[in-house]
Amino acid sequence: MKAFELARPVTLDQALAELEKDSAKRDRTKLFAGGQDLLTELKEHLVEPDKLVDLKRIPGLDRIEVQADGSLVIGCLVTLATLAEHPETRNFFSAVAEAARSIGSAQIRSQGTVGGNLNQRPRCWYYRNEQAPCLKKGGSECFAYAGLNKYNAILGGGPSYIVHPSDLAPALVAFDAEVTLRGAKGERKLSLEKFYTLPAEADVTRESVLAPDEILTHVRVPAKPGWTSTYVKFKERGSYDFALASVAVAVRATGSPRAIQDARLVLGGVAPKPWSAPKAAEALVGVDDPKNWAAAGNRAVAGAEPLAHNAYKVPLVKGLILKAMEALAKR
Amino acid sequence: MSALDPRAQDGAKPGKKKILVPKVENGHETMVEIEVDDVEGPQWGPRDSMRLVNHELVRVDAVDKVTGRARYTHDVRLPGMLYAKFLGCPIAHAEVTVDLGAAKKVPGVVEARVVREGEVKFVGQPVAVVAAKTREAVEDGLRAIVLGVKPLPFAVTREQSLAANAPEVNRRGNASKPNEDGDPEAVAKAFEGCAAVIEATYEMPTQHHACLETHGAVVDVPTNDAATVYHSTQATYASANEFKGPLKVKEVEVVNEHMGGGFGSKFEAGVEGRVASELARDLKAPIHLMLSRRDEFLCAGNRSGCVQSVKLGGDAQGKLVAMQSSIDRLGGLGGGSHAGLPYIYEVATSARTMRSVYTHLDANRAMRAPGHPQASFGMESAVDELAYALGVDLVEIRKRNVGDVHRRQLDRVAREIGWNEHPHKTKPDLSDATTKVGIGFGLSVWGGGGHPECRVTVEISPDGGVRASVGSQDLGTGVRTYVTAIVAEELGLPMSGVTARIGRTSYGPANASGGSTTSASLAPAVKHAAFNARKAFAEALAKTLKSDASEIVFDVQGVYDARSKRRLAWKDACATLGPAGISAIGEWQANLASNGIHGVQAAKVRVDTRTGELKVLKMVCMQDCGLVLNRTGARSQIFGGMVQALSYALFEQRVVDPDLGIAMNANFEDYKLAASLEIPEMVAILDDEDTRGVIGIAEATVVPGHSAIANAVHNACGVRLRSLPLTSDKLLLGLAGLKKG
Repeated sequence: MKAFELARPVTLDQALAELEKDSAKRDRTKLFAGGQDLLTELKEHLVEPDKLVDLKRIPGLDRIEVQADGSLVIGCLVTLATLAEHPETRNFFSAVAEAARSIGSAQIRSQGTVGGNLNQRPRCWYYRNEQAPCLKKGGSECFAYAGLNKYNAILGGGPSYIVHPSDLAPALVAFDAEVTLRGAKGERKLSLEKFYTLPAEADVTRESVLAPDEILTHVRVPAKPGWTSTYVKFKERGSYDFALASVAVAVRATGSPRAIQDARLVLGGVAPKPWSAPKAAEALVGVDDPKNWAAAGNRAVAGAEPLAHNAYKVPLVKGLILKAMEALAKR
Repeated sequence: MSALDPRAQDGAKPGKKKILVPKVENGHETMVEIEVDDVEGPQWGPRDSMRLVNHELVRVDAVDKVTGRARYTHDVRLPGMLYAKFLGCPIAHAEVTVDLGAAKKVPGVVEARVVREGEVKFVGQPVAVVAAKTREAVEDGLRAIVLGVKPLPFAVTREQSLAANAPEVNRRGNASKPNEDGDPEAVAKAFEGCAAVIEATYEMPTQHHACLETHGAVVDVPTNDAATVYHSTQATYASANEFKGPLKVKEVEVVNEHMGGGFGSKFEAGVEGRVASELARDLKAPIHLMLSRRDEFLCAGNRSGCVQSVKLGGDAQGKLVAMQSSIDRLGGLGGGSHAGLPYIYEVATSARTMRSVYTHLDANRAMRAPGHPQASFGMESAVDELAYALGVDLVEIRKRNVGDVHRRQLDRVAREIGWNEHPHKTKPDLSDATTKVGIGFGLSVWGGGGHPECRVTVEISPDGGVRASVGSQDLGTGVRTYVTAIVAEELGLPMSGVTARIGRTSYGPANASGGSTTSASLAPAVKHAAFNARKAFAEALAKTLKSDASEIVFDVQGVYDARSKRRLAWKDACATLGPAGISAIGEWQANLASNGIHGVQAAKVRVDTRTGELKVLKMVCMQDCGLVLNRTGARSQIFGGMVQALSYALFEQRVVDPDLGIAMNANFEDYKLAASLEIPEMVAILDDEDTRGVIGIAEATVVPGHSAIANAVHNACGVRLRSLPLTSDKLLLGLAGLKKG
């Protein structure tokens, strides 16, 4: 790996001062928190920065704050393990806790951070292979499109067909989470859903609107009283793997027999960004029964355009929605 | 029947006796006569009188291993040592030029060399090497090498290799001339009388050894015509010769105290051993050249894949009547490996053709039961398909076509896995349930016999210390532990009373660990050495005590002279020895080993029909292996084989992009191995009805697990997956296919 300078700011302003303003040079300076994704990128020479800006000495970013209304404000340096085990997350934002728990290995959860997880780069094996100069790396072709695309997108693909690898993102989007992006000129807040971009809509080499001189400092998860949620992730290998597909579902259900008043449904592992499926969520509203679950499944994949080797993701998503709803009905 | 018939046979030469020992070929056992020395040599003796051997022994090096004290080749650090690594060709087939100019200027880099220029025939083939003072400088040096890569047309898949306009992979053709066996016309005729005939094609991908310790050596600077080489090898004794040439020395001491796996891929010094030697010789500095994980995947061998087309017919009772098969072995630039069909099962009339199809990929190497897991997958799948077609119980069809030992083991394993209570014995579960449980079976065979190759020394010193020295390496099976146990047992000592030294050329000739022959080759020689040491000690003591050697008894309380009724503590007895102590040599004893083993495995799985999730719930293995040296160790080996096959079933396959010719999964993230959560409940039953001498167990245990799992998947849900791995994408599409009918 190429040698780099390590900056260790102790305030956010110092950190921001270290960052590149120029988009074209953005990879010369990289933010460094848990390092779980960054290290793999450095080792494969996918990025060769001159400088890493270590955020870990900046105080206050490693806390989960519970606001008066029950909303969570999660600092970007909170580890995945902390998030997974936090009683508020577990009690009121189950999907988020379950998503955090589903990530990697215990070691990765102890080291990896919320900010890092939301900003991690794709796992597509063409992107990760230095020999394949793909679109994501500034090349001219998405090799997955006509290649070995078992792990690639069935929704929202083109011209790149990566899937966004974050497990936290679908769960947080299901809770209408909002992110704070801090730049030299101040901060902006936007919904996590709008934070992510599709390759056809924005810079194909990026997955979000984060500017090179910005830092994602906090994630706010608004309280949703009366809602229950779950995150069901399907891994090819249970012990340690990224999602082939995943489903985050949050519902507000009342009465007996149970009726769903409102719902959110977000898919992971199937699109270049966390894939909100509002029409599928709508199908869940009403009697909480397998017929509606199946209808939601059908709607969730209605626009799917599978590639040569990933058509299985269509039945898989439907199956995961059934499993998620079945789990929620038992809570 | 007992392995050793005590009655000597007539017609033996003087000093020899003839004994009957069982021999197993293709799962069928016959008794054969062999000649052994007719002397009062060592015997294993009755098992119920054993104190250490055949008991549950903790590995004597367990603490060293888990604390990191055990020194592997990777761990060796010598003064002034340089690190070296290869740069591999990035694509499958190319004309390569290497420019080392910039690499040589990288700070810390001491040397950069071309390993290969011109035509390079597989992705990952080493083309250059860099040696430097630090590992970081090696990496920087490798990055600074400028390769000129002119791509050449390549074939990395069977289809590409066999295509009409395929590039030439092998000068003699991309497919070898088929090897033919049996009379196809007789088989065609035999099919006519069958109650059912099935026809299918079964495929296995290329899999990797995935040794935790990559290949390589640390080569010390040669001095005075001799050199020491630390080598991660399955052939410690033999590999010394391979280093003599490149080091230009007469004597090489290979050291291999601990090794992190080999599985058949580490018999040779390889390009890494040769280049490390040349660098050490030329630079006059010790060289540490261990392959990177990527190199390990790309240039250190693999288990060949295969495509096998099978037609199998049986009678109404499930007797196998006719089989026609054609097999393509896929070993990259190598010939590939396949044990042939029919495999284990007796088929009345059969014929097959088999050939190698070559591709621009690293050649296959031996791997734990080479060719057998492939043959098992073809045969067990076909037998299963035929059983369903005939409506015959899956255990019954197997019992009808194998020998006694397998039949007995099938009954035991069926009971353990829950077959008797299982509701789906002749039809898969085709109900609407969303989670379904299925059971499958598979059989194994292996030779595992020994050879007269090892020479073992047992020394007793006047201070009471006992040392056993053997040149053999521990491929992972616990050699130190059973060497210690055998010697301690013979001398009446506890495990702690004996030190086993292994893994050095100078410890004496020893066989390479291949074909599960280590135990059956080594253990008899150890027993013989310990026996000789005991006898020599008894004779020396008899002189001192004015007794007779036959009156001296060694037991856990020490040494007892029956004539004088005197008892001596072990240390006091040893103190009577002269300064030289006792040194005894042992060699292989045919009567202490045997060969030919059998195993049966079963798997129970759960399939979730909504997601295609496949969970292996339980695996059972029953295995015979003659005298078990260490029951804990033997079961560990069985578990290891089962896990490796489970990993084949669920995940493992080498992936190369067919358009780009680049390796997609030469790392442990994308080349998936089963990990802790995949491991099911596992039961290993040692077949104690087998009373023969020592036989190797390693290879048989990896043969049938994946076949049993694939069969269990079909039993669970009706989807027959004919290509490994059994991933959820295939399962989901299979389930969708069933729904459509």
